[in-house]
Amino acid sequence: MKNLLLLTPELLLAVLALGLLVWDMLQKTSSARLTLWLGVAALTLTLLAIVPQLSQKLQGVGSLWVSDPLGNFFKILILLATLWTLLLSMEDRSIPGGQMGLYAATLSLAALGMMLLVSATDLLLVFLSLELVSICSFILSGFNRSDPASSEGAMKYFLIGAFSSAMTLFGISLFYGATGTTLLTAMAPTSNPLLLFSLLFMLVGFGFKVSMVPFHFWVPDAYQGAPTPITAFLSIAPKAATLGLLLRIFTILLPHTALSLTMLFQVLAIATMTVGNLSAIFQTNMKRLLAYSSIAQAGYMLIGFVTSDPLGQEGVLLYAFTYMAMNLGAFAVAMVLAHASLPAEQDPYHLRTYDGLAQRSLGLSLLLTLFLLSLAGIPPTGGFIAKFYVFGAAIRSGFYALAVAGILNSVIAAYYYLRITYRMFFVSPARETPIPVGNYLATTVAFAAALTLAIGLYPSPFVESVKLSMSYLP
Amino acid sequence: MSLTLYHYLSLGAVLFFIGVFGVLTRRNILSILMSVELMFNAANLNLVAFNRYLHPGPLLGQGLVLFTIAVAAAEIVVGLALLLAIYRKRDTVYVENFNLLKG
Repeated sequence: MKNLLLLTPELLLAVLALGLLVWDMLQKTSSARLTLWLGVAALTLTLLAIVPQLSQKLQGVGSLWVSDPLGNFFKILILLATLWTLLLSMEDRSIPGGQMGLYAATLSLAALGMMLLVSATDLLLVFLSLELVSICSFILSGFNRSDPASSEGAMKYFLIGAFSSAMTLFGISLFYGATGTTLLTAMAPTSNPLLLFSLLFMLVGFGFKVSMVPFHFWVPDAYQGAPTPITAFLSIAPKAATLGLLLRIFTILLPHTALSLTMLFQVLAIATMTVGNLSAIFQTNMKRLLAYSSIAQAGYMLIGFVTSDPLGQEGVLLYAFTYMAMNLGAFAVAMVLAHASLPAEQDPYHLRTYDGLAQRSLGLSLLLTLFLLSLAGIPPTGGFIAKFYVFGAAIRSGFYALAVAGILNSVIAAYYYLRITYRMFFVSPARETPIPVGNYLATTVAFAAALTLAIGLYPSPFVESVKLSMSYLP
Repeated sequence: MSLTLYHYLSLGAVLFFIGVFGVLTRRNILSILMSVELMFNAANLNLVAFNRYLHPGPLLGQGLVLFTIAVAAAEIVVGLALLLAIYRKRDTVYVENFNLLKG
């Protein structure tokens, strides 16, 4: 019974999310801002409920899940990303106003699914929470039903998502056949062919969520169609959560080195980086460009996962945290610019809206430059520290091919990131009107910039907390 | 001749690959959804068969199937809702007509 208390944050979030839904139903005319603030309150309470459990390592009831610092790190990351998404949503115009309760509740339930996902040690819970995340993400990415592009992106997302979750379930059934249990902790890793086969099937579902390369086709379409706060959310939270799950399964419970899958993961990581970066070069839409860049970033994070020594694992955590700050910042600036564009312009996210941004708003262009430099991994930003950590781990454990591929990819990536900077500073603008920045967006951008710079200039507290988080059960 | 585990597993594998083939070749979204359901059911069949033949005793596999049936239903409902939203706007259920987003 005592162990049920470990689930307090998740239970709290579930109750509050459903309560939000009911509250919104009972209102005749609800204020969108107020509903979103209630969502923010729910997530903040959940964050506070995690704090007392931060450093404990305990097994949950029925061995379905564990509560350990590794899981808690990802839970905090997910909750922060969701909070940030709610703040961004306060100024988004593509979300239908009357359905804010549904929106905030679905977002909170997606966060709940991810919180369960990162602490799961049983395939039953893995499957259920993966599906909770997927279903909520499908709804969220198609939330703007009046926009055909939103529905279309969501539909493509859904088709590939349902296909890959069926693959995962088939893998789970084979795992059950091979071992007689769905418990991941129960068995020593062996090279039993049926077991390997089952893990590969499951990897399809996980790879889909991380946007690993053969399963990445939904990413640009779903990201472009979705309301922008949701795009930012999808590019961060599910990716980080699934990376947490991959870390737990393939580097702790069933190490991929013992299963001789290391080579496969290495190839997948290199392919993910390369395909993401090479496709991003040709994009003219900012959301699509950031979508491909997020695929590439997932590839860099996978490097730390492949090396699977403590340094690499810490690298994944540090990278995921830095990535949250810099990517949210970039999406927030993109939102500001899209709001400032005229209704006559067909694509408010076209790269040409960045022409001469420095003359219209110097502050905004400097901040976007900071985020882009960080995504490219150039000092003195957080992205540099994270990349340094991950590549350093690859070199130290002898994965030279990975490190070289990562560095070459960073060079390709710098080209398309800096091309936007070039547009901002050296191309003359079509209009010289100043750009209005809403309070919520300004706050979000400021926080993201502060965090990105803080990790870059004074990384030691972040590295320390990441080191502390790398302790886990069993 | 009595039914063995291998009969069930073969049926499961055949169903699964019919589903995969359907998802990859069908152009009508409703057919794709049905193919995905076939894949889910192939996995369910596997779970029940493994439970009955290889790991009798605790009904873990059969219990898991109950969860997956519910989850698959929920997932398909979301898919149909999305399809309805598209059908109202664009009057089509064929994937090749979904060409607003590309590049």
